[in-house]
Amino acid sequence: MTGSGFGKLSTARLLMVAAIIAIVSGASVGLGIGYVIHYDAPTTRTFYLFDRSLPFNETLFKIPHDTFVPDTITVNKGDHVVIHFADIESTPEGHTFTMDPPYTFDAVVYKDVTQGGGVAGTFTNVPGVILGQSQTATISFTANWAGTFRYFCEIHQPTMTGYLVVIG
Amino acid sequence: MKYLRWSAVALLLVIGILDFYYGNSFAGFYENLWYVMGGIYIFAALVIAANIEPHFSQLTVFAYTLFLWSVWATVALETGTGLDVVAYADKAIEAILAVNMVLLFRNSRAGLIV
Repeated sequence: MTGSGFGKLSTARLLMVAAIIAIVSGASVGLGIGYVIHYDAPTTRTFYLFDRSLPFNETLFKIPHDTFVPDTITVNKGDHVVIHFADIESTPEGHTFTMDPPYTFDAVVYKDVTQGGGVAGTFTNVPGVILGQSQTATISFTANWAGTFRYFCEIHQPTMTGYLVVIG
Repeated sequence: MKYLRWSAVALLLVIGILDFYYGNSFAGFYENLWYVMGGIYIFAALVIAANIEPHFSQLTVFAYTLFLWSVWATVALETGTGLDVVAYADKAIEAILAVNMVLLFRNSRAGLIV
């Protein structure tokens, strides 16, 4: 070591040089990582979700004609997700909104909008809620786990299935 | 002054374990880098404990600590990532480690027993 310039420099100067090189190169690498990952700070993301009946004969095709619109919800990990779900069936048919573990959610279920609405029930930390015709619900949770998770109607499987995509 | 070396080793091990915990707790590309950081800290703890090339290794650990602090601060400012209790604790201990390494390096270069 003493044969190199390392040994000739004073301790304070060595520390100063090392600190400057480390901080500058660290900031450069940090800028690069930030650019690559493009993370957004966690935020509240609101979605409107509906059921949809496709125009085909369920008996003939032997599958339900119900689907979710949209069938994919994409958020960043840490986001607070609010879903306004409405059962817009033209016939008296119920639908559930159920999520795969580990996700559970809080929900406020509202009464039939044609009869004035109003709160029908409040639920905390549940895996699913059921809505009747013309009922709505506000579902909220925090996307704490990255990955792809199903949300589905337990009554209309396998067609009424959507996917929550949480980017980690 | 021997305690400065062992306190550095202890701090390096604590930060290494915290970095592993962080990498394990939060999924994602950026968080996975914390595994690498933690691994290097634990390796550094062994090198400092063994007193291998002390002048070089102590200065390198000091620079590595500031390097990671600077990376974290830049990413946090740019993206808002890594602003949580675990990261704050990790960076607070890193700051203490940087001061520890300065004292250790100065004593070491002055020829004191470290």
